[in-house]
Amino acid sequence: MELLLLGVSHHTASVDLRERVDFSKRGVAEALRELAVYPAPAEAVVLTTCNRAEVYVACEHPEATQRDLGRFMSRFHDVPESELAPHLYTHTGIDVARHLFRVAAGLDSLVVGEPQIFGQIKAAFATASRQRTPGSLLNKRCTSSFAVGKRVRAETGLGEGAVSVSYAAISLARKIFGNLHERRVLVVGAGEMAELTAIHLQSQPVAHIVVANRTLARAQALAHKVGGTAAEWSALDDELIHADIVVTATGAQNAVISADSIGAVMRARRNRPLFVVDIGLPRDVDPAAGEFEQVFLYNIDDLRAMISENLARRQEQTTHAEAMIGREVDQFAIWQRSRGTIPTVVALRRRFEAVRQAELERLTPKLHGLSADARAQVEEVTRLLVQKLLLAPTAQLKAAPDEATAARYSEALTQLFELEEPRPTDGAIDQGDRADAGSSGTSAPTPTAKSPVAS
Amino acid sequence: MNFIPLLFYAAAGLAYGLHFARRSPQAGRMATASLAAAALVHTFVIGMQTMEAGHLPFVGAAAAISAFVWLLAVAYLYTEVSTDERAIGVFIVPLLLVLQAVSAVGDRVPEPTPVLDSPLLALHVMSVLFAYAGFALACVVGITYVLLFRELKAKQLGFFAARLPSLQVLDAMNGRAVGIGWLFLTAGLVVGALWLFQLQPDTVDPRVRAMSLLDPKIFVVLLSWLVYSFELYARRAIGWNGKRAAWLSALGFSIVLLNLVPVGYFLTESHNF
Repeated sequence: MELLLLGVSHHTASVDLRERVDFSKRGVAEALRELAVYPAPAEAVVLTTCNRAEVYVACEHPEATQRDLGRFMSRFHDVPESELAPHLYTHTGIDVARHLFRVAAGLDSLVVGEPQIFGQIKAAFATASRQRTPGSLLNKRCTSSFAVGKRVRAETGLGEGAVSVSYAAISLARKIFGNLHERRVLVVGAGEMAELTAIHLQSQPVAHIVVANRTLARAQALAHKVGGTAAEWSALDDELIHADIVVTATGAQNAVISADSIGAVMRARRNRPLFVVDIGLPRDVDPAAGEFEQVFLYNIDDLRAMISENLARRQEQTTHAEAMIGREVDQFAIWQRSRGTIPTVVALRRRFEAVRQAELERLTPKLHGLSADARAQVEEVTRLLVQKLLLAPTAQLKAAPDEATAARYSEALTQLFELEEPRPTDGAIDQGDRADAGSSGTSAPTPTAKSPVAS
Repeated sequence: MNFIPLLFYAAAGLAYGLHFARRSPQAGRMATASLAAAALVHTFVIGMQTMEAGHLPFVGAAAAISAFVWLLAVAYLYTEVSTDERAIGVFIVPLLLVLQAVSAVGDRVPEPTPVLDSPLLALHVMSVLFAYAGFALACVVGITYVLLFRELKAKQLGFFAARLPSLQVLDAMNGRAVGIGWLFLTAGLVVGALWLFQLQPDTVDPRVRAMSLLDPKIFVVLLSWLVYSFELYARRAIGWNGKRAAWLSALGFSIVLLNLVPVGYFLTESHNF
């Protein structure tokens, strides 16, 4: 059984195409249902975000399945195959794990380190689990990717710092005021930018939003939209006294708030801190207003500078993050190889056990004269003997440095001990592996306890 | 004996440094645990010294400083637990470390003095030292406020913005710490004066006789009381919050430190028990 990934992302396709192959249009559940009919892979997970549409499957014949998956995507989204094919990318084997780990860590995102992808992978896995489409292979990949994504974010600065204007403004407000839910926001202007910012602020738990605009009707319209109140233009100074956060975005050609009026406002406020975000172009607030001690005045360029700095910092962290992912993938590969040798280990153990049982059987008449205690001891000694003999070869087999070596070892053992043809892994063998991992103390990660479910 | 807690404070200092640099929650828990351990060990040491001396070991500059360190550690741990904010620890613990080192160097067991055996005196020393702990906290919080304030004003959010709580929280903590400190200092001074009036007419101890407003220790403490009174007044009445309050509490605490170490060790004629 091999893993295969087929997908489209912002790296390979334009927004236009990405919109057309968005699985969320018809629903991921629906996609999984169709997938189960044809090409019917053993396991499947569909991941969809606004920047990517990916299908992860486990199958017997990757090459054939890859073609089938391409056809499936084109049919499901009603996009001609010839149009879709050049934008598809595919990974197999351990590269699927690498890709998923990178995606979970936010390394493959349009905005490096963005946090949403994490929840999106979880949602994709949850939807698939409800349909019972991921089995033990994808199960392990997904749960590992959550852990890896979390660790990479925690140990690098990959997800830190605001990378959008609204978010930058809100994170600044948090640095000044801490909690925002008792803060009063004043939006000056009712144009597009003002509206965008107001809507973004509304999603934050702020106490109240007041909109002031030269045309009261437009202020009222925006206030209605964001659940705030409108203020007369003449009451602007009064509103400034009561606000904590001021966002200005008017289309005025000159500053609408002078440094003098800010000075008067600060006296009336008894110097309570005032955070002013001026996103108007040209600027709405006299830059000299920022000279007052407790006035924190940021204009659009300041915010943009912060954002690009944050982006650069995230970029710096990617090397560190990639290295971490590399280590995680190596670990994962070791685990996977140890899984590949499980049938041999099990067969070897069965063989030894069979010899032991046969010998004990043969000795039964001779042992008959012994006490029950002594018989139990013979049983115990032979069991320990077998266990100890198997310890080193099992550990060596599991720690094989690469797939070829592991295969050679397995082959040699099978021939030397005349083992039966190893069967593909199943639940029972999985359990045997866990018991064995416990007794031989190998460091390879044990598979997750979640019971594998196949479609 | 004061060097034993010193070692523990040093370990806590390392842990807080690690937490500040790495910002991992695990390092944070380790830091809190190590400081709590240090405070606990310090409590035992103070307890043993109490049994040895027969009264609370606050007599003499070294013992007073050690007690102050202990109070500050406890007060800081309390703020940390109640606000879930560990970033200030990296500034507090070095202060604990330096002061504990000072007290460990000049460590000696004072001779028992009958005039010191009074509950009023114990109350005086306790509340003044507790006030100092509050002022130390206010000073450190004030310094961190200024560091963050500068980053926000320069529009260069970086090291401190990533680690410190918001300006408003720091300002509120500063105000509260100064307020509590001021109350305890005032109470401590009143109790000290009461003790003195009770004692002075009929004592021959030269140190008690030397207690007057002109004694350096008493003069300097009154000066710090004035600074803190002004900070509290200015904050409420004329909006001297934030940066100005931070500078005032730094000024106040430098006066307190001056009083605790050089004045307490070398200059005072009244408080050198």
